[in-house]
Amino acid sequence: MSRSISLKEKLGFNVFKHSAESHIRIIPGAEKNERLKLAVYVCPAGLYSLNENGDVTVTVDGCLECGTCRIACGPEILDWYYPDGGTGVQFRFG
Amino acid sequence: MEKFDVVIVGAGLAGLAAAYTLAKDGIEALVIERGDYPGAKNVTGGRLYLNPVRQYFPADFWDNAPFERPVTTEIVTMMTQENAASMRFQALEFNNPPYQSYSVQRSKFDRWFGNQAAGAGAMLVSKSRVDDLIWENGKVAGVIAGGEELGANVVLACDGVLSLVAEKAKLREPGKPEDFAVGFKEIIELPEKTIEDRFNLLPGQGAAQLFMGSLTQGRFGGGFLYTNKTSLSLGMVVSIRDLMEKQPPIEAPVLLEEFKQRPEVAALIGDGELAEYSAHVIPEAGYKGIGRLYGDGILFAGDAAGLSLNIGLTVRGMEFAIASGVLAARAIKQAFDRNDYSAASLSVYQQLLQNSFVLKDMQTFKEAPHVLDNPRFFTYYPELMGNILKDLYSFGQEPKEGLVRTVRNRLSFSDITGILKDAWGGRKI
Amino acid sequence: MNIIACVKQVFDLQQVRIKKETREPIMENIPLTIGDIDKNALEEGVRLIEQHGGKVTVVSAGSEDLEETIKEGLAMGADEAVLVIDSSLDSAESAVSAVVLAKTVKKIGEFDLILLGEGSSDNYSGQVGPRMAEILDLPLVSFVKSLKVDGHRIQAVRSLDDCMEVVEVDMPAIVMVMSEINEARIPAVTQILKAGRKPKQVLSLDEIEVDPAEMETKVETLSNLAPEQDRKQVIFKEDADTAAADLFNALQSEGFIGR
Repeated sequence: MSRSISLKEKLGFNVFKHSAESHIRIIPGAEKNERLKLAVYVCPAGLYSLNENGDVTVTVDGCLECGTCRIACGPEILDWYYPDGGTGVQFRFG
Repeated sequence: MEKFDVVIVGAGLAGLAAAYTLAKDGIEALVIERGDYPGAKNVTGGRLYLNPVRQYFPADFWDNAPFERPVTTEIVTMMTQENAASMRFQALEFNNPPYQSYSVQRSKFDRWFGNQAAGAGAMLVSKSRVDDLIWENGKVAGVIAGGEELGANVVLACDGVLSLVAEKAKLREPGKPEDFAVGFKEIIELPEKTIEDRFNLLPGQGAAQLFMGSLTQGRFGGGFLYTNKTSLSLGMVVSIRDLMEKQPPIEAPVLLEEFKQRPEVAALIGDGELAEYSAHVIPEAGYKGIGRLYGDGILFAGDAAGLSLNIGLTVRGMEFAIASGVLAARAIKQAFDRNDYSAASLSVYQQLLQNSFVLKDMQTFKEAPHVLDNPRFFTYYPELMGNILKDLYSFGQEPKEGLVRTVRNRLSFSDITGILKDAWGGRKI
Repeated sequence: MNIIACVKQVFDLQQVRIKKETREPIMENIPLTIGDIDKNALEEGVRLIEQHGGKVTVVSAGSEDLEETIKEGLAMGADEAVLVIDSSLDSAESAVSAVVLAKTVKKIGEFDLILLGEGSSDNYSGQVGPRMAEILDLPLVSFVKSLKVDGHRIQAVRSLDDCMEVVEVDMPAIVMVMSEINEARIPAVTQILKAGRKPKQVLSLDEIEVDPAEMETKVETLSNLAPEQDRKQVIFKEDADTAAADLFNALQSEGFIGR
């Protein structure tokens, strides 16, 4: 792979089954939490980002369900559960 | 409420090994898996050390297993910002069956394993998530899956490294960043022949390459590369704590991209096609990280019990999962015969694990996480090695110095005492 | 009320990867499932039975794997399955599928309503329903987005391009549903386990008395390739106003937006 491809493109190679609800929720009030800001660095799928207001936002599309953010931030900051059965990432290789 | 002898949460290696073993013993086991199929949510680096677990299965059990390649070549590469030094190890006995380890891909492997368990008589239900445990008089009495209550004499939690089932039931605390690493990898497809040429392999044989040094930019961890049949598994494992704390901060996926740009790596993966990008958390606390193994009406196996061991050159988890699954099944069989699923009755599981390689190995290497958690392994040693080799291999206009002098130039007295100190610390593993 | 829901076994299309050099799909190791809209048809049948009583028979034709795949349909609430299994049926064209399904339905005999999805997940030809209606000489209501049963009559709302059409028809009839008609249920664990024990009748082509002439394929697949993705890879990096104007001009010169 000589050409460096974006993370979004990378995730595009995976199979994701749509889930009706988001399985990761930032607990209201924790958007500016310093520990939450570290999720930006730990998430292998780059799903966390800091917006111009200094709030951390998360998108679950492309989530690899590894749980790294859950361990980094803890349940006080993230309401994190696996997506419903038959939804979310379905690895073809793993 | 429907009631089962055993409900197993998760169709990973632990859960499927347990289901297979129970089914062979004639015990009704229901495995509940949240993915579309066993393996859909599972990730390995990946290599499975098969030898330790052969004893738990019929001799011909693995004959048709979808292994990728037997690992016959081990490579370790120390990287600095400027150079890389590799050691390649081949043993003639690695070349012949029974092979001690194989590269695997979990989606294929676990589906096959699931079919073996189902063929033996286990019930396997996919696309269903276990949400919680049912409790009766202080004992675990089943699970809730998709809003439905399913009773069980005993629940075997094989729900992986996060074991949210155990956490919800207050049987364990949420994981802490210092006890876990995250592994993330790409599957890069290449023709069979190209793989064999690039890694100097005989047809069908495989290589495992570990990378340590500057690639993690001072963070605990390293890189790995395994050859599959028609692809490479290339990835990194990095401490979650270090990703959070080490300065300057860098995003995990960027580390991997920069690692891939290194010419030593780029040459191996060149012209390959990305087929998948995956990630998974790995327990890294070793013996101290072993969680609860059993309770009233419940057992834990595999990653859910924290059974995983990183001793630097080898990282093991899957064979612990398989063995603990089998041993949990044996403990359940004994409890079944006694018709007693109390913690006291199930405690035989701990005994079985202690008598097996699982807890023996974890105990032997119980200091490993502490010893390895030494930044010198990720910066100082690779640099020292790189610098000495660079001096040995470089030719300039000046006359060349003698070998001993070349080495001594790079090794001061304090370097030597530092190395001795690390070696002294390393005696514990 | 006796309802027949016809479903098709298809590859889980999301799992299919495309070979880059040839643009051919890679079909090895792909899990099989029941088509998405077919699940809506079955779901509608199960809901009608839950309301009015009766039974739902799920009918399908395909290769040996079908016995396993159909469990999903039984878990969703079908009372029984009638399957025609033959290795030739996996990639059968619409005309053949229609004949096989119509003969199977005849064999079953008693029914009030046949439900199908508007099109299959893989080929989406939308032909099987109309062809079955012709063979069985039954009224057909297609593009149905909601369905009511009142005695011997059904009332269906058809979702057409520019209007909704309400149709009433006497049963027996064939109804082809759209995906928006309902949300197919995700079966509970016990339903999945029970599915394996529900009655399942497996028939051969001989048993449903298919004439070999009717099995003759008339459609030849010349190629099955993924669409070519021709990305221009043009990025407009100037300030927003200039970039927007440049993008507009570029799209216009490619003929994607009007003059």
